[in-house]
Amino acid sequence: MPSSTGMAESFRAFSFVDRILSCEAGVRIRGLYGIPAGIEAFPAALVAEAVGQLAAWSAMAAVEFQRRPVAGIAGCIELLGDVRPGQTLELAADLESADVEAAAYGGGAIVDGIPVLRLTHCVGPMVPMEDFDDPASVRARFGVLRGEGAGPGGFGGLPPLPIERTGGEAGKVARASLRLPSSARIFADHFSRRPVFPGSLLMHANLELAAHLVSDITQASIGRTWRPRAISDMKLRAFIPPGEILELEARLEESSDHAAELLVETRRGKRLLGSARVRFVSEGPA
Amino acid sequence: MTNSNITTEEIMAIYPKVAETMADALGRDVAELRRDASLIDDLGAESIDFLDIVFRLERNFKVKIPRGKLIEEARGHLSEAEFEKGGVVTDAGVERLKSFLNEVPHERFNASLKVADIPRLFTIETFCKIVLRQQKAAVIAAAAG
Repeated sequence: MPSSTGMAESFRAFSFVDRILSCEAGVRIRGLYGIPAGIEAFPAALVAEAVGQLAAWSAMAAVEFQRRPVAGIAGCIELLGDVRPGQTLELAADLESADVEAAAYGGGAIVDGIPVLRLTHCVGPMVPMEDFDDPASVRARFGVLRGEGAGPGGFGGLPPLPIERTGGEAGKVARASLRLPSSARIFADHFSRRPVFPGSLLMHANLELAAHLVSDITQASIGRTWRPRAISDMKLRAFIPPGEILELEARLEESSDHAAELLVETRRGKRLLGSARVRFVSEGPA
Repeated sequence: MTNSNITTEEIMAIYPKVAETMADALGRDVAELRRDASLIDDLGAESIDFLDIVFRLERNFKVKIPRGKLIEEARGHLSEAEFEKGGVVTDAGVERLKSFLNEVPHERFNASLKVADIPRLFTIETFCKIVLRQQKAAVIAAAAG
């Protein structure tokens, strides 16, 4: 039985679709999300989460809310622009397929007519809905989103995700540990029956470590700054519960004055939990 | 569909592209892969990798691979009761698998093979055959109009 706090946070603390404008189950879906004005920041990983959540609504509707997709594979996430608290994301997802095994989709987010993020070749394994959420509540929420929409402002910001550098070699490899909180508002919403650390937040932590590493290789591009441009071949291999201590590693694979390619991996002991490639580009005066 | 209408030449014709797809999905060099490598035991593939491989093959070969039906296909004409008892593949089931998965070295079929362990048998060549079967099925469907 969820706690009263859990009930209150469900569909709020880590939900990033306020309204579904149109939905063809298992085919395409369009929606909106208003980033709360009062939060500190809304990182790109959460924009990707919003697109994934929109696609999930269409996929869940396609299988009558018996199963739900979870984060699995992202072929490519293009990071096209920053977003700010107070802005509204126009979300879109087109599904290649949605069945009891998996949902495959692509999509993107636009702010004020400008694309800020694009997802391609994403695959979410479908898991039994009742293991993670109350199917009736999820179905009812779908009705709300398709109707008048949800009230804005449920997301109160990210919980602290302290990344502690543990080693590496400057400009080549960076290692760190990430201590996940044992409790946080987001876990009551992701998911209400089984708290799981969101894959998008793992991606966010990996991007932070990767950014630390590329900041070490600035000698050849003085006056320029590195910006993450794309994440590719992202794959999550296991559910991560609250309270875990994870080992992160970012490794430089290739670099030039203008671009750097890194491999990021997350482990718990010897077990590989997730991996991705990150491309940074340098920006600034030539 | 049986294996009899899939030739070694057909398999070898698509193997390089299948191997490249596998290498991309598993984060390995193509040179590391062997046609008879077990995806799980030799290449460390997990269930998420199988999903990745299937979707990449669909995109790269423009085919639709029926997910969740690989075991059903492997069972062929045998009923579920004839194929397995209590999660263990029967003798008749093992014989059927040896015929259907004739690319898998026979020593990998152990006496008490569990249904859950059938994917351990799958090799890169198994997926070549899956792609070829779907390509042929698409041609037949197109011809039937």
